[in-house]
Amino acid sequence: MTVTTPPPSGTAQSPAGYAVARGRSASFLVHRRAAVVACLLLIGLAGACLAALCLGESTVAPEQAVRVVFGLSSTDEFVVGTLRLPRLTVGLLVGAALGVAGALIQTVARNPLASPDVIGVTHGASALTVGALTYGVGSATVLPYWSVGGGLLAAGLVYLFAWRGGLHAVRFVLIGIGFAVALRSLTQLFITKADFQVAQQAAVWMTGSLNGRGYQEAEPLAWALLLLLPAVLWAARAQRTVVLDDDTATALGVRLGPVRLALATLGVLLAALATGAAGPVDFVALLAPQIARRLTRTAQIPLLCSALAGALITVLADVPARVLFSPTELPVGVVTAAIGAPYLLWLIVNTRSGGRA
Amino acid sequence: MNDQRQHHRLSARDLTLGYDESRAAVVEGLNLDIPDGEVTVIVGPNACGKSTTLRAMGRLLKPRGGAVLLDGQELSRVPTRRIAQTLGLLPQSPVAPEAITVTDLVSRGRQPHQRWWQQWSEADERAVTGAMALTDVTALADRPVDALSGGQRQRVWIAMALAQDTDLLLLDEPTTFLDIAHQVEVLNLVRQLERTVVTVLHDLNQAARYADYLVAMKAGRIVAAGRPDDVVTAELVHEVFGLEAIVIPDPVTGSPLVVPGAPVPGPRSAGTSHMRKAPIT
Repeated sequence: MTVTTPPPSGTAQSPAGYAVARGRSASFLVHRRAAVVACLLLIGLAGACLAALCLGESTVAPEQAVRVVFGLSSTDEFVVGTLRLPRLTVGLLVGAALGVAGALIQTVARNPLASPDVIGVTHGASALTVGALTYGVGSATVLPYWSVGGGLLAAGLVYLFAWRGGLHAVRFVLIGIGFAVALRSLTQLFITKADFQVAQQAAVWMTGSLNGRGYQEAEPLAWALLLLLPAVLWAARAQRTVVLDDDTATALGVRLGPVRLALATLGVLLAALATGAAGPVDFVALLAPQIARRLTRTAQIPLLCSALAGALITVLADVPARVLFSPTELPVGVVTAAIGAPYLLWLIVNTRSGGRA
Repeated sequence: MNDQRQHHRLSARDLTLGYDESRAAVVEGLNLDIPDGEVTVIVGPNACGKSTTLRAMGRLLKPRGGAVLLDGQELSRVPTRRIAQTLGLLPQSPVAPEAITVTDLVSRGRQPHQRWWQQWSEADERAVTGAMALTDVTALADRPVDALSGGQRQRVWIAMALAQDTDLLLLDEPTTFLDIAHQVEVLNLVRQLERTVVTVLHDLNQAARYADYLVAMKAGRIVAAGRPDDVVTAELVHEVFGLEAIVIPDPVTGSPLVVPGAPVPGPRSAGTSHMRKAPIT
């Protein structure tokens, strides 16, 4: 394409609602409102993190907490640095991963109900992980592989059973819910077969708990997320056309089949990795993307804002989980379920039979 | 115009199309050359395979037999992104994502020209502004697409297809669901485009008015193809649509105008006596 007459301003403007970030030969579209929402979520997240570090069995002064985070000497080094910070790190990573996972799978399925924690992905991850624990083949280093395998297996089965020459959104979700129930029973079966100690460990893990989670869970998860980051950046761009109808997207030169498969696989991987680290923290993947989308009013679910919203929900939910019945600590999954379950019911009641996202 | 060596960048060879392997083919052994730089209109009765043919020419449907050729290359062997840089297609009932704004949707038409690291260029800006001006949707730029009227929405979709900036453009029934004023508006717009256009239309008279090249299909075959003046006759209308009609010159354009026979007198025909006075001759 040749430039005949330069536009009056000299540089290209941007489509309404977007700003263009420009480098030497690169240019990126940034949705203005999404950028503002991301900043606000980030501020909220910083506040939530501070609250998570300060509140608990013993209350810590905010400035002491900040000192510990920045590696300065503090009187509360043990409580903040050893007890709370590792747990917070896991919560942040798990929440962010679940937020993006939900966004991707909801996008591909064109349905807000089709979230990995509704359609059996996280349940598949749990079943295999608990199974591995029960039969003694799951050491801490290989457990993530079991959960990823379980998540992929469950997603594959749901897809296989829902496919009838096409994928109908409602049938897909219903079959997914069916699998979720079946896999949950399977997990219970594993627990009853396990010896007492493993059973108790598995039962806590099952509800999704940041209890006793620390850097040994955070580190592999952080590496995995870092590895998947380029794929997530690609996905954010791919979403722009995937949200259009199939014919239009194809006409725009998108290879819809492979792109959808890649997005869904990425979503399943993220959900399974998060589940492997903290157990099935229910409803974060369902809620975060929808909150993000409603705040940004974008045509597709914004991935960065979904990640931030997911992290915010998880970190916020963990505070009452620790404080409410102190010294007994609730699993964070109980708190997220208390928020998420009513939303799920509302969604089901309000879903039209077409099931469009 | 009647150049024998006229160029055809897009053509169909022995095209056989169907949706379900177990069922009969919808289109069988179809050959068609699309004249470059002109407006080709495909007409025919319901379920004659006209939309199916258009979809196959836009690689939305894989041929069961034969091939669609773009610049001499079999469409199924050209990377879909490269096709999208040459050939645009507006499907029959596109669905906009919820809450998307007009500019946002139109700018997505630039997809085949963009890269992951090149999301907005001057060419993108020019194509989008130009397409929106041409379709007269500039004033709607910030509005959500789902809040627009049917006519406005259709213009926005056409703007998106135009922003794709392709030499060839396929439109699948672009006037369906529009009232007569908006139909005329869209068809006038189509005539102004300086590119090869292939469109499926329902209305035979509109086809005769706006087509440079008219293709009449019936039961998956091409019955006639050529200039509307040469093709549209009472015999053809009878053969293709099974309709008794006369063909007269259009009082405005001189193109063939199809006038169907008088309505059958109904039970209240006494009140509509003027209808009985117009027997077909």
